[in-house]
Amino acid sequence: MLEVQHLHKVYPNGTRALTDVSFQVEDGEFLVVIGLSGSGKSTLLRCINRLIEPTQGKILWDGTDVTAASGAELRGIRRQIGMIFQQFNLVKRSSVLTNVLAGRLGYVGTAGSLAGVWSSADRASAVRALERVGLAEKAQSRADALSGGQQQRVAIARALMQNPKLILADEPVASLDPVLSHSILQYLEQLNREEKITVICSLHFLDLVHRYATRVIALKDGEVVFTGLPQEIDKARFKEIYGEDAIEVKAGLSA
Amino acid sequence: MPVTIPLASLILPGLGQLLSGRRARGLSILGLTLTLLGLIWWSLTPQDLSPETRPIPLKGDPANLYWLVVPVLIWAWNVWDAARPNVAPGWIPALLSTTMFFVIGWQVAEINPPVLASNIDRVMLIVRPMLRPDFIQPRAEEREGWVEIIVPCPTEAPAAADSSTGEITLTVDATCGAVGETLTVAAAGLTPDVPVELVWQSPIGDFFVLREADDPTRFRSEQPDAQGGLTTALVIPNAIPPGVDPTMPQEQRLYLRQSRPLGGWELSTNGGFILQGIYETIALALMATTLGTLGAFPFSFLAARNLMGGNAFTLVVYVVVRTILNIVRSIESLIIAIVFVVIIGLGPFAGMMAVTVHTIAALGKLFSEVIEGIDPGPIEAIRATGANWLQIVRYGVLPQVVPAFTAFTIYRWEINVRASTIIGVVGGGGIGFFLIQWINLSDYRAVSAAFLAILVVVQIMDFVSARLRERLA
Repeated sequence: MLEVQHLHKVYPNGTRALTDVSFQVEDGEFLVVIGLSGSGKSTLLRCINRLIEPTQGKILWDGTDVTAASGAELRGIRRQIGMIFQQFNLVKRSSVLTNVLAGRLGYVGTAGSLAGVWSSADRASAVRALERVGLAEKAQSRADALSGGQQQRVAIARALMQNPKLILADEPVASLDPVLSHSILQYLEQLNREEKITVICSLHFLDLVHRYATRVIALKDGEVVFTGLPQEIDKARFKEIYGEDAIEVKAGLSA
Repeated sequence: MPVTIPLASLILPGLGQLLSGRRARGLSILGLTLTLLGLIWWSLTPQDLSPETRPIPLKGDPANLYWLVVPVLIWAWNVWDAARPNVAPGWIPALLSTTMFFVIGWQVAEINPPVLASNIDRVMLIVRPMLRPDFIQPRAEEREGWVEIIVPCPTEAPAAADSSTGEITLTVDATCGAVGETLTVAAAGLTPDVPVELVWQSPIGDFFVLREADDPTRFRSEQPDAQGGLTTALVIPNAIPPGVDPTMPQEQRLYLRQSRPLGGWELSTNGGFILQGIYETIALALMATTLGTLGAFPFSFLAARNLMGGNAFTLVVYVVVRTILNIVRSIESLIIAIVFVVIIGLGPFAGMMAVTVHTIAALGKLFSEVIEGIDPGPIEAIRATGANWLQIVRYGVLPQVVPAFTAFTIYRWEINVRASTIIGVVGGGGIGFFLIQWINLSDYRAVSAAFLAILVVVQIMDFVSARLRERLA
């Protein structure tokens, strides 16, 4: 269980990205975070694995205080949390296989990994992870030779290499064609259901939220304005979250 | 507009502008006025001439006082500008001050175009030998013999003159004599039918080729007989160096020299030095580039803001490393070489160290800028996997920077070859070490051969470097 308690984040330039954010995530949930651009979704996700340092507040994960961890302990927490990004964040000049293997970095020794030496077990599981996202035959291609949707699948394979208990997905489909959105989210849904991996995912399109979320929290100007089930977001709530001028758009194809 | 603003500018130029919030303009006006006044003061004060100082023609000329009109006009303009902001045109002080800077600058630089034309004949003194670069020479058999002669005669007459080399023996009718006296020399063992050159060696070792008595533009050339014998007369030349007491007996020498063409060409002595120097230069540049790149590598990561911005300690390291790199980079490798020549002594090692240090600083900066320009996304992703700092660098940073690093290194190699040609001028080894000596000896044939060798090497390096970098792009 993940518990976020009274989380605040103020950037050095004075921007208040998060203000007193508190919520809980039970194991096995598919929690979707919604809100306008700049509402603090990305900051919130990055505070959970401390890519961004929270200014104040506590994050407890299975009883461990993430906010108090440092050094090796923090890296030990991070390696159990997979992360997927809007821009895929693959190393473009490296091969697909190397990108996937990088997911193991938290588990392997420094010297071996610096030399680029990987155990056959790691290589085998990297190939399995790629098979799982249907890209085994692309293992030797350079990452930037792949399409956007394929790159995001490689990123999912990289996250899988961490044997994660939790996956953070920061707008995983915002840079993709609507057609591909479902394909990516279905991979996440599959991991969530079959492997019992908790997923915390930020999304833009409400129809995707309705389709995949088991629970939703909404952020507005860094504050939680809604927590509940996806069905509870009606027109009135929608305007509350996105402002009076917002019009709901659909991601397109329904699954 | 309160009257105090123009009044403030009347008291101190730029003050009114400063007070009314136009800080950049106010400071510029104040700085410009002070600079102009300082320049006029400098040009008016007479130069304190000691024997070693070179006189500056402009200094101390009272006519420079007229320049005061420029700051006075700018002062007046500045009051106008303070009273009516954005009305007084900025080109007025700009034109006034640049005119003054250019006229005084022309005088300080001692620009004197007629000199270019009046000494044109001197050009040929350099150009003519340079047209015959001293790199190869016709193969020839060189032979010589010499005999010692005391000039003038000491009170006790010296023993019989003693010839040295085995093959050519010289006998002189007198072992000593005064300047202007005639000697008769008899030689045996010369190569028959090969002309003989007569050369006089002064007490300090300078050589003078003797000239024809009736035509001083021609060197003397004697023909030995079929048995290799020669008897000829010569007048003792005045070879006593300035400042030496001419009455004091000194050992001088007469040389007979023969040069028999063997056909074909060979590397001249200087040509051999050039090859050695060029090889030293290339080796020096190669070592300096390799060591410099290895040295720049760790520094570049420490000088990259995006990697070091994490916490206060790394930020301090970043600032310190960055500052050191900037300072060292701004010092010419030639200057660094002077320091290393003092520490290490003359030779290529000192030059290599200097070029290496400069390479570390220059590449460290360039590399760190490459690192700062990389996509932060993959780094974030690698960090999120629980990787440590070294792993983040290896998997998130290196793949992104290696192509640019390689291109910069090759480019630096090209720069280092050029730096290594000149580093020898201050004693850092390589071709420059020979070049500066030939320049000082006015041996323009060797100088031009060295220039040509440098030209060829630099051209080849440019070509190779451009091709390699093309491939990387």
